[in-house]
Amino acid sequence: MEVFSLAGRIAGLQTVDLVQQLSSVPFREWPLLATGAALVVHLSIGVCWAIFYAFFFWGRLRLPPVLQGLLFAIVPALLAILVVYPELALMRTSMDSVSLDPATYFRPLSSAVVASLVVSHALFGLTLGLIYRKPVGYPSDHKPSPPAARRQGSSRARREEGSAGFMFATGVECSYPTIEHGKWRRDELESTRHYELWQHDFELARHVGITHIRYGPPLHLIFDGPGSYQWHYCDPQMEELREHGPEPIVDLCHFGVPSWLGNLQNPDIGKALAEYAGAFADRYPWVRFYTPVNEMYVCARMSALDGLWNEQLRDEGAYARAAWNLADATIQMSEAILKRRPDAIFINSESGEFYQPCCPDEDIRKIAEEANARRFLPLDLIYAHPLTKSMHRLLMSQGISQQDIDRLAHREVPKRSILGVDYYEWNERLIDREGKPLALGELFGWYVIASQYWQRYRRPMMHTETNKMDAAGASRWLWRQWHNVQLLAKDGVPLVGFTWYSLTDQIDWSIAMSEPLGIVYPVGLFDLNREARTVGLAFKHLIELYRDMPDYRECKPLQELIG
Amino acid sequence: MAGFLSAHGYDPGPSQRPFLAGAIAGVLATAPAIGVLLWFGSLKVEAQILGLTSLATLCLGWAAMAAAGALYARIFGRAANHVRGAWLFGMAFGFGLWAAGAVLVLPIVSGGRAAAGSAAFGMAAAMLVWGMAVGILVPFVHRPLHESLDSGSRHAEVGPSAAAGKGRPIKQQRQDDRG
Repeated sequence: MEVFSLAGRIAGLQTVDLVQQLSSVPFREWPLLATGAALVVHLSIGVCWAIFYAFFFWGRLRLPPVLQGLLFAIVPALLAILVVYPELALMRTSMDSVSLDPATYFRPLSSAVVASLVVSHALFGLTLGLIYRKPVGYPSDHKPSPPAARRQGSSRARREEGSAGFMFATGVECSYPTIEHGKWRRDELESTRHYELWQHDFELARHVGITHIRYGPPLHLIFDGPGSYQWHYCDPQMEELREHGPEPIVDLCHFGVPSWLGNLQNPDIGKALAEYAGAFADRYPWVRFYTPVNEMYVCARMSALDGLWNEQLRDEGAYARAAWNLADATIQMSEAILKRRPDAIFINSESGEFYQPCCPDEDIRKIAEEANARRFLPLDLIYAHPLTKSMHRLLMSQGISQQDIDRLAHREVPKRSILGVDYYEWNERLIDREGKPLALGELFGWYVIASQYWQRYRRPMMHTETNKMDAAGASRWLWRQWHNVQLLAKDGVPLVGFTWYSLTDQIDWSIAMSEPLGIVYPVGLFDLNREARTVGLAFKHLIELYRDMPDYRECKPLQELIG
Repeated sequence: MAGFLSAHGYDPGPSQRPFLAGAIAGVLATAPAIGVLLWFGSLKVEAQILGLTSLATLCLGWAAMAAAGALYARIFGRAANHVRGAWLFGMAFGFGLWAAGAVLVLPIVSGGRAAAGSAAFGMAAAMLVWGMAVGILVPFVHRPLHESLDSGSRHAEVGPSAAAGKGRPIKQQRQDDRG
C-alpha cells in the first residue's frame, strides 16, 4: 500500500497516504516521531487484518487464495472509506467538537480518494492472498521440533497394567499422509499442537476417565532410514503413558509412510515396517496393545483410488496393490511384535462401511457389489478369509502370485486379534444413478454394519472410532453409538471397547486433509485450546455410569484375550 | 501458525463463563482507556457533548464497557480465550465499538455533535487500547472462573437422555442417572 501510495505521488496522481494522514494527528509538534508512530500504526493495522484474515476468512470460500485475499480486502477498504478517512479529517481540525451531518462527514471523500483507497486495499488483499496459502503441514523433507520435555511428577495417576476392564477409549489424531505428490506432509500431531501440549493432553484424557488411548507416534519422523530411529519424537510421551496411563493402543502406521519409503505402491513397505515394529517393541517392551496399520481400506482407497494422499493415483489396480502391501505390512509387523511380546494384543481398526444400490439397475447393483467387496479386501487378507472372486482377480492382475495369496489364506491369525470397526455418519453410502457414492447418514447404524463384519470374521470386536462434525449434536451421537454397542453385546458378540475419536478437535477433517487449509472441526472431547466440549463431559458421565458395573469392570471377552 | 488455529469453533465450552469473564475484563480494561481519554482531553469533550459531568460520563462509560466486555467474550467465544490471538480480536472489537459508538451513536444522541481534533483521536485510541486490554485480559480472567468437568454443563444434557435430545440441569442428571 505504501509503495502504491509513493509511486502514485511520484507519477503525479492523487493517492491517499494514510501514514501521512495519521502522522498529522498526534505529536504534531514532533514530525519525525509522528511519522515513525504513524508507520508503526499502519504496519500494525496491516498485520492485524492479516491475522484476522487467517482466523476468520481464509479457507471458508472455495476460491484460489489470491481471490480470497482480494475479496477479504473489501472489508478494510469499506471501513477505510466510510469510517477511518472521514474521521482522520475530523481529527485534523483544531476544534474539540463539531456539528456533524452526512454531507460534512463525507466531504473529504473525493472520487480520486475513494479510487486510491480501493486500489491500495486491493493490492493489500492480493499480496495477502499470495502469501498466505498453506497454514498447516510442512515440506516433506522438513522435520518439526521434537516434543516438549517431560515435566516430572505432573500426575498421581498410575497406569493400570493388566486390567481386563472394558476399554473406554479415545485417540490422539495422528494422521501423516503426504499430499501434492509427496511434497507436502500433513501432520495432525503438529497441527493440533500435540507435540507442544502432549502431557496436558494425557492429563485431560485421565480427567475424563479414559482407560485406553489410541496413540500413534509419528512414524515418518521416527523411522528415518533402515536401522535408524529418532526415538526422541516419542520417548517422553511413551514414558508418561507407561507411568501414568491411559493404557496406550499403539498405532504404528497411520495413513502415511516415511518419505524414504516412497508410497504405498512400494512392495518393500511390509519388510521395512516390520523392522520398525520390532524395534518399537524392543524399545517399549511394556506396550501390549497394537494397531499395526490403521484403517488399511481407507488408506489404500484415499491414496490409490481417490487420488488424495501419498501416491495420489486413481486406479483400481493401484488400490489392490496398496491394500495388499498394507495387509502384508500388518502381518509382518504383527509377527515381528509377537517375537518380542508373544502376548501382544492386536486391534485391527478398520472403517465400517457399506454401499447400497439406489435402484434395481444391474450396473448400479454391480458397482455397489464391487464397492462392498473392495471394503473387505484388506481384512480378508489379514484374517485369512476367502477372497471374493473379483478381488482375487484384481490381485492376480497386479502380479501378486497365487502362491502369495495362498500363503496369507492359510496362515494362522494371531489369536489375540480384535476387530475394530470405526463408524461415522458418512460411512453408509448410496450408489446413485450415475454410479457415484452419496453419503446416506446413519441409515442402518453401527449395529447393523458391525454385525456384517462380525458375521464375516467372528473376532472379538471394538468400536474404535466415532465422532460428530456438529458439536451441538455430539452428545446425542455419543449416546446413540453407545446404545449400538450395548445392543450388539446383548446379541452375544464379544465387545471389548468403545472409542470417541478424538481427544481434541481435528483439522481439515471434512476434506480428509487433502488440502492444507487449516480449518478446525469441533469433533474432539476438547477444543484446540484444550477447553472441554460438551461431548467431553458426556463421555465422562457415560464412563462414570458404566465403568464399575460388573460386566464392564471385568469384561469377559477381554479377560479371555488377556489370559 | 498452527497455534492460531485453536481459536476456531466459536461456541464457548460448557465449562466456561464468557459473560462474567468478559464483564470483569471490560471493567479492568477501562482503566488504561481512561488514561488515554484524559491524556488527549477526550473525556471532557465527551462529557460536554453528552451534557453530563466528567464523573457521570466516567461512571456511564465504565458500565457500558462492562457490558461491552461481556458481549465481546460471548461473540468471540473460544477465540476470546486464545492467549496469543485475543489481543487482536479485542482491538477489532474496540475498533467496531468506536466506529459504532463514537462515529454513529454519539452524534445521534447528542443532536449531531461529534468530537474532533485531538479529542476525536483520543477517543479512537482509547477504544483501541480498551479493546487490546480486554483481549489480553479475558483469557487470564476466564481461567480461574472455569467450572470443573464435573459441574461444567449447567445447560446441555450430557447424560443418556441426550440420545433423545432431552435437557436437564447437571445436578439432576447426575442424581437421576445414578438412580
